[in-house]
Amino acid sequence: MATTQVLLEKAGTVQDRISDIGRLSQWTLMRRRFMENRLSVAGGLVLIVFYLVAIFAPFVTPYSVDALDSNSQYAAPTALHFINGHISICGVTQTLNKANFTWVYTTDCNKAYPLQFFAPGYSYHLFGIIPMNIHLFEVPKGQKFFLWGADSQGRDVFSRTIMGSRISLSIGLVGVTLSVILGSVLGTASGYFGGAIDNVIQRFIELLMSMPTLPLWAAFAAALPQDMSVVKRYFFITLILSLIGWTGLARQVRAKILAYRTLDYTMASRLAGASSWRIILTHMLPNALSHIVVVATLAVPFSILGETSLSFLGIGMLPPAVSWGVLLRDAQQLSVVESHLWLMIPALCVILAVTCFQLLGDGFRDAADPYS
Amino acid sequence: MVNYVLRRLLYMVVTLFFISIIGFFIINLVPGSALDARINQLRAQGGEVSYQEIESLKARYGLNDPIPVKYWKWVSGVVHGDFGESFTYQEPVGSLIWSRIGFSVLLSSFALIFTWVVAIPVGVYSATHRYTVPDYVITLIQFIGVAVPDFLMALILLVVASKFFHTGVGGLFSQQYQNAPWSWARVGNLLSHMWIPVIVIAASATAWTTRVMRANLLDVLNQQYVQTARAKGLREAVVIWKHAVRNALHPLIMTLGSLLPSLISGEVIVSIVLNLPTTGPLYISSLINKDMYLAITFLMALSILLVVGNLLADLLLAWVDPRIRYE
Amino acid sequence: MASTAMSPVRGQAGQAEDFVIRVEDLRVEFRTPIGVSSALDGITFEVPRGKTLGVVGESGCGKSVTGLAILQLVPLPGIITSGRVLFRPHDGSEAINLLEYERMGADMRGTRGKNISMIFQEPMTSLNPCYTVGNQIKEAILLHQTKNHKEAKERAIDILQKVGMPNPERIFGSYPHELSGGMRQRAMIAMGLSCTPDLLIADEPTTALDVTTEANILELMRELQQEIGMSIMFITHNLGVVAQMCDDVAVMYLGRIVEQASVEEIFYDPKHPYTISLLRSIPRLGTNRKEHLEVIRGSVPDPYTRVSGCPFHPRCPSFMPGICDKVYPEALHLPSSPQHLVRCHLYNDLNHQEVATSSGDKSS
Repeated sequence: MATTQVLLEKAGTVQDRISDIGRLSQWTLMRRRFMENRLSVAGGLVLIVFYLVAIFAPFVTPYSVDALDSNSQYAAPTALHFINGHISICGVTQTLNKANFTWVYTTDCNKAYPLQFFAPGYSYHLFGIIPMNIHLFEVPKGQKFFLWGADSQGRDVFSRTIMGSRISLSIGLVGVTLSVILGSVLGTASGYFGGAIDNVIQRFIELLMSMPTLPLWAAFAAALPQDMSVVKRYFFITLILSLIGWTGLARQVRAKILAYRTLDYTMASRLAGASSWRIILTHMLPNALSHIVVVATLAVPFSILGETSLSFLGIGMLPPAVSWGVLLRDAQQLSVVESHLWLMIPALCVILAVTCFQLLGDGFRDAADPYS
Repeated sequence: MVNYVLRRLLYMVVTLFFISIIGFFIINLVPGSALDARINQLRAQGGEVSYQEIESLKARYGLNDPIPVKYWKWVSGVVHGDFGESFTYQEPVGSLIWSRIGFSVLLSSFALIFTWVVAIPVGVYSATHRYTVPDYVITLIQFIGVAVPDFLMALILLVVASKFFHTGVGGLFSQQYQNAPWSWARVGNLLSHMWIPVIVIAASATAWTTRVMRANLLDVLNQQYVQTARAKGLREAVVIWKHAVRNALHPLIMTLGSLLPSLISGEVIVSIVLNLPTTGPLYISSLINKDMYLAITFLMALSILLVVGNLLADLLLAWVDPRIRYE
Repeated sequence: MASTAMSPVRGQAGQAEDFVIRVEDLRVEFRTPIGVSSALDGITFEVPRGKTLGVVGESGCGKSVTGLAILQLVPLPGIITSGRVLFRPHDGSEAINLLEYERMGADMRGTRGKNISMIFQEPMTSLNPCYTVGNQIKEAILLHQTKNHKEAKERAIDILQKVGMPNPERIFGSYPHELSGGMRQRAMIAMGLSCTPDLLIADEPTTALDVTTEANILELMRELQQEIGMSIMFITHNLGVVAQMCDDVAVMYLGRIVEQASVEEIFYDPKHPYTISLLRSIPRLGTNRKEHLEVIRGSVPDPYTRVSGCPFHPRCPSFMPGICDKVYPEALHLPSSPQHLVRCHLYNDLNHQEVATSSGDKSS
């Protein structure tokens, strides 16, 4: 191991950290290491923005998700102009081309309409309780503003994407939280008690891992009745995603617990007469926590992708619910997407969110365990 | 070694048995199956023939039996090569699935080969050129590659192909070969159509595997035996490829267990977007239509594909790593 | 004062003494994003032909880097920034500066394993687990000696026999995990000696082994040295091993050689306070002046903070304020024994005087 040793001897950061260890708590050290990783910090910041927007989604969106407008089918994204010191949209007039019966849109920037910030619009309940009708931006009555275009029924893709983020982003977190609880409990039980319990749990995990993920998800999801309420369906889809996602985590936790079981301090507390619960809760889980956080963070993107895929296939979330996967169903037809590329914008959101979660998870991992 | 293989085979059969129970149970969760629909349809037709058929269907699938009895009837059929009937297609399941499963196996295997053929060299390059611009670029592409869901990749490719190259990429055959008998020309046509779905299916797996390979190799390059090899006077290429990569492959093969499910999942969803005649589209539609015998057969087929893949991976591992031989 | 018959190390070049390797003013830096650390800060020494040089010091002092630098195998981000590594082959030809060879070029590779071999500390990890011991020994033979596989195999089995393997044919086909630690280190030595090198660099070859195995391995190395006539550069932190194995000793501290002398002088007349402290921290060499074992205060400092003056001054029992923390000490030849080199201000003004005591208790 001479080379590794040389590297360790010579890598200044490592030396610094070793000399710090006595003074700083483990979490402080991890935070420091994490902060050094610019890309991960950036990923974390973008995610914070994502989640803030999701929480304040009705405030951010100018239109409600089901505001139909038969005059604006597949309307292209509205251009923004900077006119007279205001961010404005240009007036649009719609005329029917009688020759081939298509709508022709003409933009007239002499008639500019500045965006109105913090203006009243449709009514909603902030956080589900506070009644409000103020929105981040609105356009004057009679004008239409589609920042990211409109869909087949003239609904605002921007508003729908923002509102869709609520389901798509939360299902990942909630699903992974359930996975973490399941995985930690079963993984700990498996690792700590060993024997028959371990055997049964491990065989069960192997069984679940021997079934292809997406087809299994699909089978579960297809078993849900079509006429379920949105909330119920959300709950079950989350449950399905986590029921299959906990296995990897359980294995990792088990491996950690097994490693801790042989350590001196565990032995010492056992000799001192501590109960199993005490040993698990005070000595093992806190140590495994950083590891659990890392694995969980890296699992969130796959949960998000899972929901998106299922909804895209028509067996996940279903309309009238709005999620990124549901929105992408509109983009299923090649002929539609080709001429209306903005329908793919929810896909960009998926990609960005998933990438950021990966960066964040990677940063967490490097911070928690710099040598792996 | 033979013992090991036999034990693993036995274990595989047991696993598949349990999978069939779970799968059958899940697919039978919801009342209102395609079987009911078919019986209702026959009832509406009325007549002696219909009545007899209803009775035979009831007897065969134990319509009013509890799930365990239904399961037993189904399994006894499967053992004799009778997979049940697809009620939407009104055809035996057996006749519907084989060619589709064949294409699925073909696509998944090619995707796996593609994944490794690309991921290993790229991962090696990335690890041996750490902190250089190409390494950063590769890392960035990896992150995005993992982040783009398979079906999106397929969609994007469809759009790009039709917008910029004015060609369609759907299907596995050109029109004239669609129903033609097998010939070399048809195989060639298949291959020329297959590379796009293969790349799409393999994309995220490739990105992920590249990352694993890079991390593995970086670990191995710190090992003493790599330095030993250099100290012998070996060329760097030999040091890397003979001494380091061989050891870095070991954990890579271990991750096959999680790579295969993602490839098979990818195959299912990409086939739907690209409209390929594989298990994917039919499986999902059978689920939506509650065509349960078709669905369970596909689920079992995909599971077998996965379990056999895992077995092969374990054997490969035993071959690559002398330490686990004869265990 | 113990005087040696042979002259171990010379300060000036051009002496007639035959050396295998001569390192001159070698500097190695590790350049990381956080900063630059000097792993080797201008070290000069030579390994006489057929003799053993011990390189001693605590962890992190640059011993291993010295060995790796000779073979140009310092791992990144380490870089050899200056110096010469002169190698003189046994055929008596002119000395070659190995650092002029390209790092992974054919000339350098042709030297590695053939003229200069290196064996490492951890026999458990020094052998590739994926290949048989025979394959790995054969590899070096095929590279440097013969292209004939059958002949290479015979030679490998021959050398396995030579290192005392009980059943060389069987060992040839064994995988490393099937061997014990001692056996693996024998296999490593066999690999190192397979091409009868001029110099064997042994980087703590027995540290990971138990005492009995260690004794056997050291015995084996001594025998083989006699037989092949090679030189050994023995890197260790174990002064007991140095006493058994070495003719000359170089004591390193923080990338510098602080004292260099024959093994007798190092043990019976150490000059540098660091050497003295090292010797005192060994149980059986205590001079009974104190009851309990001494340890050296503090530990090797962080490599990025450059210590002003003498790098050892923060830990030195003979620290002289105003001198030691200000001025970097030059290497001095002791008048009584010109081959004995020491870098310490204690001997600055004593250059013309006999040093009466080897004690370091002069702290003010």
